[in-house]
Amino acid sequence: MKYRTFLTTLILFLLSFNLGIAIICVTTFKDMVHRAEEKSLDEHYFITSALLKDFHAVESRGIDIGNSLASLFQPYSYLSGDKKVKLALYKGDQLVYSNRQEIILPGSFLEPLGGGNRLVSIKKLDDRTYIMVSGQLPAPYDFYTMVYLYDTTDAITAWKQMKNMLFFAGFILSSLLALGLLLLLNRIFKPLSQISQISRNIAAGAYETRLPVSGHDELSEMAQSFNHMAEEIQRQIQQLATAAEQKQQFVDNLAHELRTPLTAIYGYAEYIQKIVRTEEDKLFATNYIMSESRRLQNIAYHLLDLATLRENKIERSSIRMGELVDGIEQSLSMKAAEQNIRIIYEYRFDTLFCNADLMHILLVNLIDNAMKACSPGGIIKLVADLEDGHKVISVQDNGKGMTEEHLIHITEAFYRVDSSRSRSGGGAGLGLTLCKQIAVNHEAELSFLSEPGRGTTAKLTFTS
Amino acid sequence: MATILIVEDEVSINELIKRNLQSVGHTCISVFDGRAAIHELAQQEVDLVLLDIMLPEIDGYEVFQQIQGIPTIFLTARSNLSDKVKGLTLGADDYLVKPFEMLELLARVDAVLRRTKKESNNFKLDGIKIDFESRQVFLNEHPVECTPKEFDLLEVLVNNRNIALSRDRLLELAWGYDYVGDTRTVDVHIQKLRKKLDMESRIKTVYKMGYRLEV
Repeated sequence: MKYRTFLTTLILFLLSFNLGIAIICVTTFKDMVHRAEEKSLDEHYFITSALLKDFHAVESRGIDIGNSLASLFQPYSYLSGDKKVKLALYKGDQLVYSNRQEIILPGSFLEPLGGGNRLVSIKKLDDRTYIMVSGQLPAPYDFYTMVYLYDTTDAITAWKQMKNMLFFAGFILSSLLALGLLLLLNRIFKPLSQISQISRNIAAGAYETRLPVSGHDELSEMAQSFNHMAEEIQRQIQQLATAAEQKQQFVDNLAHELRTPLTAIYGYAEYIQKIVRTEEDKLFATNYIMSESRRLQNIAYHLLDLATLRENKIERSSIRMGELVDGIEQSLSMKAAEQNIRIIYEYRFDTLFCNADLMHILLVNLIDNAMKACSPGGIIKLVADLEDGHKVISVQDNGKGMTEEHLIHITEAFYRVDSSRSRSGGGAGLGLTLCKQIAVNHEAELSFLSEPGRGTTAKLTFTS
Repeated sequence: MATILIVEDEVSINELIKRNLQSVGHTCISVFDGRAAIHELAQQEVDLVLLDIMLPEIDGYEVFQQIQGIPTIFLTARSNLSDKVKGLTLGADDYLVKPFEMLELLARVDAVLRRTKKESNNFKLDGIKIDFESRQVFLNEHPVECTPKEFDLLEVLVNNRNIALSRDRLLELAWGYDYVGDTRTVDVHIQKLRKKLDMESRIKTVYKMGYRLEV
């Protein structure tokens, strides 16, 4: 593109520039020739008419014209003083006088034209250029032909020099222009090459590269939008990378979650097959096989629940808070009594627009988590209240709490606050992931606040 | 045999390893987190530590750095190369990825113990005495002539005592992978051992499985 623009511009310029020079040269040349011709004609006329008078005078005195030609032409010798003008007089085909012997004219120029017509022509003789005017003298001397030769070689040489000068200057100017044009185009196209370089970098994975933005012209505008595009790409790639990482983490965790019970199941089956000799040992091993299988089953169910929740729209209706709380109390009271944990229920609004079963699962899960964090004698508070016009349900415990870094991850599948992933508290590690999904399906926001040693608060805010 | 410390937070797997190791005659101590492991190691001497990497309180790598000098086999669910390399460059004696077969665990435990245990390797049962170093077998103090293969088979049975071994597995362990013989070779050798060492009641035939040396 750059070179095409450069070539086109340069050729166009060269064409018009040189054409201009050529036109100037031709015009000057024509003008010059024309002026020389005019001058020659004038002189020819002047000499002819003077000669005519002289001839009359000579003849009236009875002197032969032929013998006095030299003296007759004497006054015009000034013309040949600078050797530029040559005069020749022909009588018929015969040269009767010439002020310069060296001129030999071809006979064809001496064709009588008659009627006082004169012939003007440009002749080249021995490297010199002449304007030649030939014409007969008026009657009765019309057998004389007067030839006037004007040497224009110098003028033409001067013209040639001027022409050469012009073309030389034109060449220098053109070179300067070409150079300037190249620099200008380079400057104009520099952002383009920059863009292509940076695009290549971005394509190669250097998403953080940006174009430098300077000035307020179209190019800087383009650079800005290009940078904006690069930013968007970087952001989206980042998002994709994060999503991929989370998915990888999920798969890794799932593999780990599956591997541990599988190791136990396989190991105990092998134990029964190869080692067990008493019924007691067999029972012991089968118990483990069953509990580990149940764990696998739990994971499978939870994953299925998650998948179903992600796919389907849930049905919602107005549920009375009293019913919801009663249901939760029923499922948890036994376990709470066992662990000596007190659960307090408070609600300050009467109905909640939700799916009763899912909301039950969510709240039971949250309270269950709270119970795991609590030591015996702990207190858990479920409070349903209005905050800024939004319905909010919070579950607060006074258990061991957790640090900020854990809080960010607790809704991720299989994430365990204890890095060892100890299952001493039981569960598949999918409870909070499920809670979050249920919250999303209810257009609610699930957030956590925690302080190590002081307890954790889970807050469910209904935004709709 | 040896005293082995099992550090594994999964109760079911910890118990499983313990039962398997005990059945071949090792003494086992079970702990469920890193702190307890360090505490236990400070109290008594063990020959080998089976160490899970992901542990509560203190992770396996850290425990390992604190107990330098005691032979250790890492157990983990993570199987990527960098984890293995990290475990082994730290100086672990071996590395096992879950899920693993118990026979593999036992074989590796045996291998590490053979490498690291200084005391002479003897086995006594009823009137039988086996010296593994000199490859000699005595019955009631009288030396018994055994072919090399018979001795190999006996060694495999003793190392995996109380564990039923299939004929294929016996062939693989005693004769090697590249042996192309029939599994009946095993039967023949077992019969010879039973007769020579008077072990009819000790080497049991396990129905549809193989043989087991019961101790």
